[in-house]
Amino acid sequence: MSRRILLIAAFAVIAALPLTFSAFWINMVISALIFSLAVFSINLLTGLTGLLSFGQAGFVGIGAYTLGVLAKQGTPPLLAGLYGVLLAMLFGFLLGLPAARLKGHYLAIGTLGFGILIYQLLTNSVDITRGPMGLIGIPTGGIDKQTWYLVMLCVCLTLLATLFYIDRYSALGVTLKMVRHDEIAAQASGINVFAVKLIAFTVSAGFAGLSGALFAAYVRFLTPDLFNEQESFRYMMMAVVGGIGSPLGGFAASLMLTMIPEGLRALGEDNFRLLIYGTMVLFVLWFLPAGIGGLIERRRK
Amino acid sequence: MSVLELSGVSKRFGGLQALSGISLSVSPGEVLGLIGPNGAGKSTLVSCITGVLRIDGGTIRFGDRDIQGMAPHQRARRGIARTFQKVRLADQLTVYENVAAGLASRWFAHANGWPLVFRPLSAAGIAKAVNRTLEQVGLADVSGTIVKSLPFGRRHFVEIARAMVSEPKLLLLDEPATGLTETERERLAMLVNGITADGCALILIEHDLELVGRLCHRVTVINQGHHIFTGTPAAAQTEPEVVRAYLGMNQLIGGGADDACH
Repeated sequence: MSRRILLIAAFAVIAALPLTFSAFWINMVISALIFSLAVFSINLLTGLTGLLSFGQAGFVGIGAYTLGVLAKQGTPPLLAGLYGVLLAMLFGFLLGLPAARLKGHYLAIGTLGFGILIYQLLTNSVDITRGPMGLIGIPTGGIDKQTWYLVMLCVCLTLLATLFYIDRYSALGVTLKMVRHDEIAAQASGINVFAVKLIAFTVSAGFAGLSGALFAAYVRFLTPDLFNEQESFRYMMMAVVGGIGSPLGGFAASLMLTMIPEGLRALGEDNFRLLIYGTMVLFVLWFLPAGIGGLIERRRK
Repeated sequence: MSVLELSGVSKRFGGLQALSGISLSVSPGEVLGLIGPNGAGKSTLVSCITGVLRIDGGTIRFGDRDIQGMAPHQRARRGIARTFQKVRLADQLTVYENVAAGLASRWFAHANGWPLVFRPLSAAGIAKAVNRTLEQVGLADVSGTIVKSLPFGRRHFVEIARAMVSEPKLLLLDEPATGLTETERERLAMLVNGITADGCALILIEHDLELVGRLCHRVTVINQGHHIFTGTPAAAQTEPEVVRAYLGMNQLIGGGADDACH
């Protein structure tokens, strides 16, 4: 019971935090929360189902640009965001059809190829996306920063709790993990491995698309560079530092890895800053091979 | 009426005829021993029955249906469960979770089964079946243990529990006694009797012929992909062709090698 009170108190403090923050840090926290949705999408796909994806930024881009393009043409932002998620899911399904048959390195290369394909599409479909010139002035219906922060916090915590429940306690979690551990045994237990992978791809793409749609609505400015393969690697890195099977760790890592490099900006020179950042990431992986999630898990026991 | 009926099943891998015209059948409550020397095609036959491999000729009927066109998971949902020669468990999950995964064939057996997988693992419908099965195989004390930390012999029982929990109509045990202690072997024997008492048909692939003789109602012997004998275990021991196959006489003095030379 006292734990519950503690949780509510913690939430109240976190929700009130931005009142004390500068605009710069509020921006940072909101971006980090938006990124964490893309990291969740990797947790679901790679962590639970065991499918490696280096193309998540592609789905984020689809979600972002769908909202951007449609909202600029007058579609209500909320509806445009929904279309963004649905389109990302459709692409996830279509990618899943061939990708669910691939394994290991081949799957990694295949998804990487998908990410690059989407990046090229966004860059070159100048008529629709304005390509490298960028999409500017996306209407969002005028929500202030404080509301954004609260909405994002609620969305993230809801998804976090859902993933945590699926992972730890549900029959679905066992089904997904069986597919990850041993496909032959999973089939022998009546699990349609192909269908499970296809659904995992689709739902994961939906999470990533949601991340993109929210990003577009929040930042209101898009260029294809925000969704290239480097971004995919960054999401993957956040998921790995967080602990690949741990949604909670992934959440913590996406907050840390977004804010630390910005905090280090105080040190001045750009390359030096990234050097420190890279070293920190290496150290985390060296001492915590199971990521931040592994550390949380160890403390529980 | 037999649960499973194979007639004239053949399987070829490139130039190797792994199975040629194998026929066998099992009835509810019956234990059929499937024996033969290494490389005889026993595991290939199991893969053909479970659908991991597609057969090149013959028919496989399960219940009243031809199941040749079905994928492994579809066959599992119809009631064919198996264990593996080399234990295939999710090492990092608990015993309970591994056994619960065996219920998937029930969750997904109907189109409306999807909502079932959103239930918590501790839901009554899951816990009852899992705990009863764990009790039955003697694993109730390690329900919450991670499989990786279990001794090898007990992992075999986790696999058997995973196969049993969905109450299959046919259970295939692929060399379940390998690496078991004497006590565990006795438990396995009791378990086999218990499973078949409930009307489940069982195919036992086993090198331990003493165990086969004790548990099986009938044995089918295959050698080099050919069916050479089906009958009672006692009759098998005196059948010259079975004895020859097991002593490897074919390779030592038999026609096979000679034919190849000429």
